[in-house]
Amino acid sequence: MKIATVYAVLLALLVAAAALALAVGHGTLSDPALRNTLLELRATRVAAALLAGAALAVGGVVVQGVFRNPLVSPSILGTTAGASLGGQFALLALAWGAAGTAIPSELVLPLGCLLGAGISLGILMVFCRERTGTLVLILTGFILSSLFLAVGGFVTSLAQDQWDLSRAVVAFTLGGVGGTGPRQVLAALPFVVVGLFACWAWSGTLDVLLSGEDEARTLGVEVGQARRWTVVWVAVLTSAAIAVGGNVAFVGLVVPHVLRPIVGVRHRRLIPAAALLGGTFLVLCDLIARVFPSRTELPLGVVTGIIGAPVFLYLLARSYREVEHG
Amino acid sequence: MASAPLLEARHLTVVRGKRRLLHDVSIAVEAGEILALVGPNGAGKSTFMKALAGILPYQGKIVLDGNPAETLPRGGRARLVAYVPQHSTLDAPMLAREVVAQGRFAHRDGWGRASRDDASAIAHALEATQAIHLAERPFSRLSYGERRLVLLARALATGARILLLDEPTAALDVAHALSLLHRLRDLAGRGHAVIVALHHLDEVAEFCERALLLRQGRAVCAGPVADVVAAAPVREVFGVELVPGAHFGYRAITEPNS
Repeated sequence: MKIATVYAVLLALLVAAAALALAVGHGTLSDPALRNTLLELRATRVAAALLAGAALAVGGVVVQGVFRNPLVSPSILGTTAGASLGGQFALLALAWGAAGTAIPSELVLPLGCLLGAGISLGILMVFCRERTGTLVLILTGFILSSLFLAVGGFVTSLAQDQWDLSRAVVAFTLGGVGGTGPRQVLAALPFVVVGLFACWAWSGTLDVLLSGEDEARTLGVEVGQARRWTVVWVAVLTSAAIAVGGNVAFVGLVVPHVLRPIVGVRHRRLIPAAALLGGTFLVLCDLIARVFPSRTELPLGVVTGIIGAPVFLYLLARSYREVEHG
Repeated sequence: MASAPLLEARHLTVVRGKRRLLHDVSIAVEAGEILALVGPNGAGKSTFMKALAGILPYQGKIVLDGNPAETLPRGGRARLVAYVPQHSTLDAPMLAREVVAQGRFAHRDGWGRASRDDASAIAHALEATQAIHLAERPFSRLSYGERRLVLLARALATGARILLLDEPTAALDVAHALSLLHRLRDLAGRGHAVIVALHHLDEVAEFCERALLLRQGRAVCAGPVADVVAAAPVREVFGVELVPGAHFGYRAITEPNS
């Protein structure tokens, strides 16, 4: 299939998913009194899911490329857990009035996520210098993730004292775009757009890195620099995604795997396709989360996990079959 | 008057941890020459090759086409020296043409855009290695010999005049090995300087001008092939006897496991 056709199909899917998400949900659009409010709420959710999905999917493509490991996701760097912890602290600060009045309340959460991701990234960079191997980078990311998750558990326990705060922290941890406002979406937008373009600009280098770091060096790649910058941009993307969508699993893992058999492994083609499909996937998952018949709205992270895990297992089984049967 | 060498390595030493893998080795290779690196397994051939390719840190000096290697950025170095590893770790389902196109990375602009030069360099590299028929096949599904051809094409696509090949004929059948060596000979004829690690002394004798014999990271003997692939140094390093009159055949003077 020609790449232009693939992009056209993915774009059509995205538009259809967004239209469906705007049209379907609790409350009827035929009521003139509710119509505008409902559309505004749903449009904000669609925009948030679109940004988060695109950011996480492209983050997945890039980390899988730079580490030459199809089983890693953006969370491997520890910046996802860092951003999540930053978001949890931001919720505490809001509830305890510690955020002050200098920062608009809707921007406290995104800024907390960015700060958390930034601190995590800083620690990662201190430990992983120019000639540090990929294994050290992955292990450092894993240790940081474990540390931040443990501290996040402590924050959750602190929030137990207040019912609203406790609900907000748990909802953020499980993922969701229900509470995301238009200003949060607008705050995350430049980070996602710049992050996507920056990752795309590194796509030629990522292609050469598929040959391994040693061969890439002999072909002219400044491997340390490439790894450092791509890690930075993935951190920017994931922190922006978490700021608008909380913890959402499997998008960065599954979307690249679905696309590679269709568009190939070259990142210049893969990154735009991942942005489109990642956005579509999360918009549809959010729609399921909204309309699923239950007492409360399903957490978005639960929906992506329930869909993503079996899909990933299927793709894994299919790739093993292809290897075995040539 | 001899022309200036395209590649010169002076007193190259490679130390990894507490181990000295290469000790004070020097060579100079001119355009049109093939220099063979010869020695038993573990002699330091691959280490030397990787140091020349800029993969391993080293002490000493490397001069590439008159430029001290340490002053060159990665891209500049890649335009002067191309390296074909013994085993490529590339296993992505890319087309062979896309693999060859990687060789143009150092020639692209900041956005990675291909130029008209890129297309002609890739076509020329595929043609020179007679790998055009492989261009649209996935690299991961090629045979070992076919992969080696594609990797050689990638090296040629860089436009580098210095070629480093680490045991290119290992695991190839006789026909493929001879074909590849003939292509190296052609490339040398077109002005490339080729450094190639080889195990078979008959290949060294037939296709190379000069040789460097290594043992335990040290240069034992260097010079014209006739001086290096000779009875005394071969006996000293490999423990085998060259058989006079037998076209560079050799037999073991000690039995295996004795």
